[in-house]
Order: sequence, then structure tokens, then C-alpha cells
Amino acid sequence: MGPSGSGKTTLLNCISTIDTVTTGRIVINKKDITNLKIKALEEFRSKELGFIFQDFNLLDTLTAYENIALALTIQNMAIKEIDKRIQQVAKKLEINEMLNKYPFQLSGGQKQRVASARAIVTEPSLILADEPTGALDSKSSRLLLDSFEKLNREFNSTILMVTHDSFTASYANRILFIKDGRIFNELIRGNDTRKEFFNKIMEVVTLLGGDVDNVL
Amino acid sequence: MFSKIAVNNVKRSFRDYSIYFLTLTLAVCIFYSFNSIESQNAILELNKNPIFHDSLNKLITGTSIFVSFVLGGLIIYANNFLIKKRKKELGIYMTLGMPKRKISKILLFETFLIGLVSLIVGILLGILVSQGLSLLVANILGVNLNHYQFIISLSAVIKSVVYFGIIYGLVMIFNQYTISKYKLIDMLHASKKNEEVKLKNAFISVLVFTLSVILLVTAYVRVLETGLDAANTELFITVIMGVFGTLFFFFSTSSFFIHVVKKNKKVYLKGINIFILRQINNKINTNFLSMTLICLMLFLTITLLFTAFDLKGTIDRSLEGNKEFDASAFLVVDNESEDPRENDIEEYLKDINFTFENNEKYAFYSEYKLSLTIEDLLSDYLSEQEQVDLVKDYLGGPMSAIKLSDYNSILEITGNESIQLSDDEVLVLSSYDNITDALPEFMENEDSIQIEDKEYTIKNDVAIEKNIKANLDSDFFYLVIPDNFDGDLELESTNFNVIYDERYFDESEERFSTLFNDMWDNKYRDVSPALVIGNTLNQIKDRQNGMAAMVVFIGLFLGLIFIISSAAVMALQQLSDASESLGRYKALKRIGVTERMINKAILKQSFIYFFAPLSLAIVHSIVGIIALNDIFSFHYESIIVSTLFLGIIYGVYFYSTYVGVKNVVKNGNS
Repeated sequence: MGPSGSGKTTLLNCISTIDTVTTGRIVINKKDITNLKIKALEEFRSKELGFIFQDFNLLDTLTAYENIALALTIQNMAIKEIDKRIQQVAKKLEINEMLNKYPFQLSGGQKQRVASARAIVTEPSLILADEPTGALDSKSSRLLLDSFEKLNREFNSTILMVTHDSFTASYANRILFIKDGRIFNELIRGNDTRKEFFNKIMEVVTLLGGDVDNVL
Repeated sequence: MFSKIAVNNVKRSFRDYSIYFLTLTLAVCIFYSFNSIESQNAILELNKNPIFHDSLNKLITGTSIFVSFVLGGLIIYANNFLIKKRKKELGIYMTLGMPKRKISKILLFETFLIGLVSLIVGILLGILVSQGLSLLVANILGVNLNHYQFIISLSAVIKSVVYFGIIYGLVMIFNQYTISKYKLIDMLHASKKNEEVKLKNAFISVLVFTLSVILLVTAYVRVLETGLDAANTELFITVIMGVFGTLFFFFSTSSFFIHVVKKNKKVYLKGINIFILRQINNKINTNFLSMTLICLMLFLTITLLFTAFDLKGTIDRSLEGNKEFDASAFLVVDNESEDPRENDIEEYLKDINFTFENNEKYAFYSEYKLSLTIEDLLSDYLSEQEQVDLVKDYLGGPMSAIKLSDYNSILEITGNESIQLSDDEVLVLSSYDNITDALPEFMENEDSIQIEDKEYTIKNDVAIEKNIKANLDSDFFYLVIPDNFDGDLELESTNFNVIYDERYFDESEERFSTLFNDMWDNKYRDVSPALVIGNTLNQIKDRQNGMAAMVVFIGLFLGLIFIISSAAVMALQQLSDASESLGRYKALKRIGVTERMINKAILKQSFIYFFAPLSLAIVHSIVGIIALNDIFSFHYESIIVSTLFLGIIYGVYFYSTYVGVKNVVKNGNS
């Protein structure tokens, strides 16, 4: 979490290898990804990472099924495997009814679930979500976050989510607060209920936003 | 300040809108080249013939006007694309407080600059191209360019400047109108508009596709059966069928195709094929109308180029059996008149004081018409339709005949031995072997001809393919009849043939061509009322070559303009589509599609988009050309030359589109 301009998206871009770091190293799955060759990078990106975006990033010309399939076909996966995996994921995210619909026929929440399905269908070790609830109403947000929890529990997927919404953040197990490009604070949920965790988050957010020295 | 903005915009446009410049420059270049024809050496040679000169000028002017309409439409269309693309930029000017009037001024200045640059480059390029064209012309006309000259045609430059000036002027007016209509809000939010896929239903797409195939096949069969006869209303129906078949084809093909490919998972689920397929489906589906137009235009172009180049070959061949006499003339007999001065060409020459030189060999003879017609003669070997066609093509009608003594005097001057015929024998002279199989069959199976009540034996087994005169029309059919033939004979014309002495060839040619030109200009009408028409062999050759040249020019001119128009429209559609699909490419990149894969996808899309209409056009053309084959016979040269022209221009557009789209996708992070 962090205010605008704190460097959340930059961090995400560095992890996702879209951007390169100037100093330091990024280690994922015991692999240092900062000095990978282009080919290896591309492979890493498509196999180890899944992306979820605020604007869904679905292709409007493709059906939901095809959107999900695309993530697999670019890895040249076996055809039988593709269909099996899609059906599996769709069931988990409860979108199997709408696989043959086009994005414009889906609601925002449904779109984001399709996008999530696309992100996890490759069974990545890390899912990167950039403000996934940013464009959703609160009900859809809750549904999506519920399915994230489910993914985390049942698929053991690690989800790295960027948000500045405290409610969304309260679904996480561990929160890093960033300010001006530095880690400002860290919260670990532990055995707290979501309500307790949410209150703790709010305290930090107040602290983050209320830089009293500067006001005076 | 404003001119600075305009100049910078133009500079940027050179990079971004290379297709627009390519089109403008090529258009000017071709326009100049063809209009410079008049001042080319080879044509100047021919221009001594006044008829040729006039008709060439008229044809080129007429075609130029038609072409400038086509180009005007194309340029306005292309310009419209660019303005649309720049809506946002113009919107920003407006939010900065620039009044519309000033924006118009910038655009005006830009159009002027672009026009100026493309005109200059186009004319310079045209001057180069026209040199090559000059060689082609010389080749077609069989003129030896002994002294090669670098020609710049001032009149063509002026014409290009005037015509394109008017077109650019229209573009300017059009831009002003467009700008005045725009609202600021629309300009800033001009991006994002999804094409609507018109046909999604699998069943209907299969149905429409099947219908289109049925229509096209029926049209093909019909055209192959009836041939290309413009007078036939059947052809009109066939054309309509073909047009609608093509329209339905492009309307349904992509949807149909997608349903087929979906079944084949190996192709469908490979790489980003899903995306490519959907993109193409979208594009062809939204642009099916222009696709149809382009396909038909390409079809026309291919057929035009083929025919144009091939006419030349056909004419060369038609001159083959027509070389024996250096000059021939005939007097059209007026059978109402008894005055020999009006009906005898010998008397006529005396009247106008024309005498043959000693070194010139000549023969006088008369042509008659028999009561027997050609279609009756061959009736056993012709179907009813063929008989009708023969008459319609001016190949039927009463048979011409020439008396044996006349024929022998013609043979004498050509140095051939004279022929003996008994009173009941005839000879058949004809070129009809090339036109119909009926004549060789007739000659093989029949030994005699019945004329009125009398039976005549045919002395030769195969028709003699030597014409009895130098003639523009290469088809002939004569009977050589005995001198004492007593059937019905009507005097048709009195004639003479001349063969020059090779040593005095130029002098004789000069004398006779002057004589014939003077006769054509009615210079002797007050001396003698008779109508006499003559041609020297050289005049015939020139006229036929001139005709070939004209057809080739006009064919090339129109063909090139059509190719440019089609390719430019497709390129522009591709480019505008690329900027509309930017979001999609961005989405692809974000889910891990590599740049290499994206470039490949762009290549595949451009390829399919460019070659879908071309492929159907080629199929159309093959059928069309086979149908035309009855009129022309084709050879490989024309295939190579036409393919070369088509390939180069189409290829250049295809490649620049590919590069352009790649750049849009690569740099387009807006």
C-alpha cells in the first residue's frame, strides 16, 4: 500500500521484469531475475508470473474462453491440456457459464474474474495484481477478493497486490507500506480477524497521510 | 509560428504517413509519365499520321480526366484518414486557445506543402519513368530509336500541376469543412471505437458463404459458356451475379473461416492465432464493402493489363499473312452509275494524273460479290449460333470473288507462277482457318461448291492463306472463279496492288502514302466523284501498332492507377485499424506476448488482408481471361509484364503497411 507516487507500480514493474532495476537484486523462487537474458526473461514472465490489471486488460475481440486460452497458447501448451485447465479454473472462479461471451457482454466483476482466471491458468508462482478492485463496485470487489482468498488457499498461489484501498488490503496476510520509494511499515495479519486487521491498516494509513510536520 | 507548426507537422508526416506520400507521389509520377507520351520520339514518328495523333490526344485527355476523378476521390479519402488520426492533436491546439480559423490555416499550409513536395518529387520521378516508358513505346511501335533523347515534356508538367493543383484545392476545401464540423469534446476523445462484427451466427455465415460460392461458380460457368459479348444481355446478368457473389464472399468469408479454423484446434490454439483470426475477422467484416470494390478493381486491372499487352501480340500475328503488297487501293463501285470514270480505278488514276513509275510493279483487278453467302456455304459445318455469330462479326455475308485472269496478274507481280482453272473449277482463298474449324472441315469433306445451279470443283484441298491485297482487316475469304463464270456477279470494287522496287522503296512509299492521305482528305473529290481508299503496308502497320500502343497505354495507365488506389485504400485501412487496435496490442504485451510474436501477427494480418482480395481477383481474372481467349490468344510475355507491375506496386504497399503498422504498435503508448 502507499499513496500515489510512492513507487508501488514501479516495484510491480520491476518484479514483473517490465522495468529493470538500477541497483539491487530481485529473487523469485530462488532465481535471480535481474540478470536473466531476454529469452529467459520472456519465458520467466510467461511461466512464472500471472498479471491482473485494474482495467482487466481483456481483448475485446475474443471470447472469455479465448482470452484465457491465449495465456496458454503463447506457451505452446498441448491442446488437450489447454481445455482441461480452462474448465478447471473456470469452475473455481465460477465463470464456466460465461466462457463463450465477449467482454462487452460481461459485468466489471465478471471481467475481472475472467482476467484472474487468465492469470492463474498458467499456474504461476506469483500473481501480480495492480489495483484489481480499482474499477469495481464494492460488491464485485468483495466477490473478487473472496475468489483471491480461495486461489491462495486452494492453489497455493502467491498474490502480490497493489492497492490504496484499505478494505481490499485487509484481505491480505502481509502488507508492506511504501512511501517515497521506501518501505515505511509492515503489517502481518497473523491470527487477527479481518476487522481487527482493517483497523490496524487504518492506523498506519492515517500515519502515512498525516505528516503533521509538513502541515506546520 | 503557424508555418513552423505546419512545417514540423509535415516533417513528421513524412515518417508517419509514408503511405500518403507514396500514393501522392506515385499518382503524380504515373500521371506525368502518361501525359508525356505525346512528346515522345516514337510517338512523334507516328504523329505524321493525323488520325492517330488526334485520337491519341483525345484518348489520353479523356482518360486523364477520368483518372483525376479516381485520384481525387482517393486523395480525399486518404486525407480524411489522416485528419481523423490527428483529431486529438488538433483538439489540443483548441484547448490551448487556438481559434479554429488558425487551425484551418495550419492545415491549409500543410496541404500546400505536402502537395508541393509530392508534385515535385512525383514529376521528377515521372521524368525518369517516362524514359523507360519511351523505350517500351518504341518497342511496341517497332520504331528504332537511333538517337536516344532525354525528354522532359513541359506540357505534361503543366497538366500535372493543374490537375493535381485542383485536387489539392479540393482537399483543402474538404479539410476546412471537416474542421468546422468538429466539436472539441469529440476531438479529445476521438480514439476508441470498436468495430461491430456484423456476422456472428455460424449457421448464417455458412449459408451466405455457400450462396456466394454458388453465385460465383454459376457466373464463371456462364461467362465461359457465352463468352464476353457485351451486346448480350446474358452477360449483364452474369456480371451482376459475379458482383454479388464477391460481395457475399467478403461478407461471410471471415466468419465462415473462423468457424472452420475453430474446429481445427491445432491451428486455433497455437501461439496468438486466436487473436490474429479475430482481428482479421473484425477487419474484413467491417470493411467487406471496400474489400469487394478492391477485389473487383484488381480483377479489372489484371484483365486490363493482360489484354493490353496481349493485343500487341495479336496484332503482330495478324500482320503475318498480310505482307506481300506494299500498297493497295480500292474504289467502291456505285452500281447505279454507268460512268466508267466513277467505277474504274484505272480511269480514276488518269483523272487525278497519277501514273506508276517504271520501277513499281502493279496489278489492277476487280472484286465481285456472289449470290452465295459464306454462312450458307459452310452451313453444314456450323451450328445455328455460329452462323449468327459469323454474320454479327462481319465475317459472313455474300462471298467475294475474283476472276482468274485478275488473280494471275496479281500472282505475276509477286513473282508466283500463274494458275490454270477449267470452266468448272474454283480456288478457295481464306484466312478463316484461324477463325472457325468449319472451313478446314469443309475443305476436307467437300469436293465441290454449288453456285446457283452449277457445280464447281474445288481445286485446292486446303484454303490458300495469302491475301490478295494489303489490308487493315486481316480476315479474308475469296473464291477465284473462271473468267467465263456465268452466274450472278455484282461488281463490288475495282482495285490495284503495288510492289515497290527495293532500291526506290522510300520514294515510292512517299508517293503512295501522300496519294492515299490526299484521297482520305478528299483532295480529289472535285476532280472525280469516286470514293477511293488506299493504304500502304507501312501505314497499316503504323495504324495497327498505334492502336496497340493506345490500348497498351490506356490499359497500363488505368491499371496502374487502379492498383495504386486499391493498395492505398487497403494500406490506410490497415494503419487506421492498427491505431484503433493499439489497446489490444498493449494488452497482449502485458500478458507476456513477445514483440517477435506481435510482429509476426502483424505480418500475417497484413498479408491476409492484402492478399484476400487479390486471390479472389486472380481467380476472377483467370476465368475472365479464358473467356477473353476467344478474342485474344495469350502468351507468357504479357503474364510476366503484368505480374511484374502488379507485384512491385502491391508489394511496396504491403511492405510499407507492415512497417507502418509495426511502428504504430511499437511506439503507440497513448
